[in-house]
Amino acid sequence: MTGTLLYGGAIGLVIIGLYAIVARRHLMRNIFGLAVMESGVNLLLASVGYRPGGHAPILVAGAAPGPLVDPIPQALVLTAIVIGFGVLALALALVVRVRQAYGTLDNRAVARRLRAENGEARS
Amino acid sequence: MSQSLPAIIYPVAIPLMGAFLLPIGARRMAELAGLFGRIVVLLSFSTSLALAVSIWTAGPAVSAMGGFAAPLGIVFYADRLAMLFLLALNVAVFLFWPRGQGAKGGPCTLMLALLAGGSGLILSGDLFNIFVFYEITAVASYGLAASGRTHAGFAAALRFLILGSVGSSLMLIGIALIYARTGTLNLADLSRIAPHALTGPVGLAAFILLLAGLGVKAELVPLNTWVPEVYGAAPARVSALLAGVVSKLAMVVALRFVVQVFPGDGAHTVLLVAGILGVLAGELAAWRAGSLMETFSYSSIAQLGMVALAFSISGAAGIAAGIALALHHAVVKPAFFMLAARWRGPVGGLAGAVKDSPLAVWLFVILSLSIIGIPPFPGFWAKFLFLKAAFAAPSAGVWIAVFVMLAGTVVEAAYLFRAVLVFFADGERGGSTPRFAFAQLAPALGLGAVLLAAMVFIAPLGASISGMADEASNAAAMAARVLDRGE
Amino acid sequence: MKSAGGYAPARIRGHERNHGKTVASVLFLGGLGLMLFELISAVPFGSAPMQVGQAIAGEAFARTGADNIVTAILLGYRGLDTLGEVTILFTAAAAAGMVLAGAGRGEAQGQEAGFIFRTAAWMLFPFLLVLGAYIIIHGHLTPGGGFQGGAILAAAFFTPLLASPASPFNHRVAILVEGFAGLVFVVIGLAGLAKGAFLTQLLGTGTPGALLSAGSLPVLYVAIGLKVGSELAGLMARVFGEGSARS
Repeated sequence: MTGTLLYGGAIGLVIIGLYAIVARRHLMRNIFGLAVMESGVNLLLASVGYRPGGHAPILVAGAAPGPLVDPIPQALVLTAIVIGFGVLALALALVVRVRQAYGTLDNRAVARRLRAENGEARS
Repeated sequence: MSQSLPAIIYPVAIPLMGAFLLPIGARRMAELAGLFGRIVVLLSFSTSLALAVSIWTAGPAVSAMGGFAAPLGIVFYADRLAMLFLLALNVAVFLFWPRGQGAKGGPCTLMLALLAGGSGLILSGDLFNIFVFYEITAVASYGLAASGRTHAGFAAALRFLILGSVGSSLMLIGIALIYARTGTLNLADLSRIAPHALTGPVGLAAFILLLAGLGVKAELVPLNTWVPEVYGAAPARVSALLAGVVSKLAMVVALRFVVQVFPGDGAHTVLLVAGILGVLAGELAAWRAGSLMETFSYSSIAQLGMVALAFSISGAAGIAAGIALALHHAVVKPAFFMLAARWRGPVGGLAGAVKDSPLAVWLFVILSLSIIGIPPFPGFWAKFLFLKAAFAAPSAGVWIAVFVMLAGTVVEAAYLFRAVLVFFADGERGGSTPRFAFAQLAPALGLGAVLLAAMVFIAPLGASISGMADEASNAAAMAARVLDRGE
Repeated sequence: MKSAGGYAPARIRGHERNHGKTVASVLFLGGLGLMLFELISAVPFGSAPMQVGQAIAGEAFARTGADNIVTAILLGYRGLDTLGEVTILFTAAAAAGMVLAGAGRGEAQGQEAGFIFRTAAWMLFPFLLVLGAYIIIHGHLTPGGGFQGGAILAAAFFTPLLASPASPFNHRVAILVEGFAGLVFVVIGLAGLAKGAFLTQLLGTGTPGALLSAGSLPVLYVAIGLKVGSELAGLMARVFGEGSARS
């Protein structure tokens, strides 16, 4: 039950994020979609390490308090969260610039303008 | 037997230290940032060269980070294939170092980060560590794509970032899937566990998910919509670097995955399909493209598709063909990009270019002949190796690959000769097309010289590549080097 | 400028919506989700093989002297991942700085926050600093560590900026701290080469459970904490528009 909920929730977040990226044209929504998708992936990764009755992987007085959950996915998730944050910050910085440059955040309009500009001869 | 070589971390550590130090100095002495960065790259290159010599003589090297032996800790695994692409990356970063206005602190820092990330990507023997280095490379290239600071550059970088991050997230799902099935992240360990733990649809899905991440950088269909946008909007040096070498790094990592984790038929079929689509879509779009820049962006997709086709032929021969194609493309394509950066605008406007810049036009002709595969140029040998590998391992899929490859070559020849005919158009007096300053032409001429040198040394080069491929195709030996070290 | 502050959804909403495409993408993504769910559920929840994890959990304490096994993995077994991760943060900060240089201030950034927030921001500052430092230096013993503590340090410096955008944020110091903290990480790693390999633990494992234990791991965490703190603060300040006004 917990497993279905966690795995289902994680995949659900990934799909919601993907929907916001694929089907929506607003660049801010695309970026929110990215954040939602990353949360889903992190939840999935953390769920993989679950053990029934497992304790947090921290020793008490040098000994394990019982069976531990898998510590590796936790370390991986920590890494993945920070990576996601960095990418997100860079995306927001670029959004500021795109907005200044084109006055719109409509992904399709931006793509059109971009193609037009690339087609023109530049010195 | 493998040697333990802890110094293999230097190609990552040196540019990393340079990247951390550069912004501190760049605030005071902006004009020195470029010089400092170049010195760091030279240092990293000479260290890599020394390591490569040691690996060429003493065999593949392994280093367990932190002294934690595989599979518990992260290992670096360096064989000749890895060292070859490591050196190519160093050379390319040095050759395409930002110049002029672009040579400020920001782009220089990003170049060093790209070098550190790419080096780690090619050396790492751990699935998640590869993801981390892949992300360093990716973030640095998003930044570099915007380093021209033009409107189009910002927009192209943002769209590149969104696509790339979706790919990375999918790759992470693939890693979670593999970890859930096998409980390990070490590639060598996986090569022993995967054949019975990662079979059937789960294995195939995991490979597709990993490839979805790598495919963004490796310009695989359908993850390459960013290619014409970014290469058109970014500074030419950045385009040359990304198309020339960084895309190949992703391709080599994909090869490692196929050899070590997914040796089954499924993964090879996926690569075959991606390759076929890449060649067809890339060549046709290149044929229809209006400007040279666009043409080469699309043809780069096709060339990487050919590399994927070669890697889809199982066995060392296919790998050798793929390495040869990738290497050849890494020399030719950046040179094309440097030429196209000067010859912007519609191809028709370049009539009579031969009178204005004969050197550049003749270089273009030589590069074209080689990439089409006319003997005795190196491109012919690369494609010849591909055909040889295909005839050695015939199957329906391989025949389709051969057919697609040949069809792609015909289209390639058509659009390249079309451009050459325009350059040599009669009745034009010249003076209407841009001329090249020597500094603009120098990197392209250097690559042309490398190409001609390769033509002279084609026999030892071929032997070296096939030895490299033998080494890189033997998963069992790789696993033994990493895991059975008698500690 | 005020009217343009509404981003652009209104303009986009003005376009005709393509319902067919929406339905198609929902169907496709739904199918993809079901497929992924089936694939991941092929390994029953809570029963993934844990061979490497088990092995590490068994020996991590003896090898590193850290009570927190996640810390032992982050800084020991997978220390290179962590170095890569701070590098990504560093690269993103450098790229964002380059992108935003000369962008000028946005329209929402000039406003002062209310009295309560302004006062609270400064009162919180010392407490956040202490809390951040505490979390960083206890990272090898308890949950927490350089990243969590660094985020709190960044919050300490960023909250006053949110409260009154006119207050100064010194980017030069942030760049100095992040550069040298990163350098310390790499140098400690290279010093490990003398004992066998990159990032080999130095200084012995010490008394279990003591603050000064687990060898060089806490030193690494302090470097990470300072680096993450200065990078997060610098990044947010840049996106917020402070730094770009000057550089």
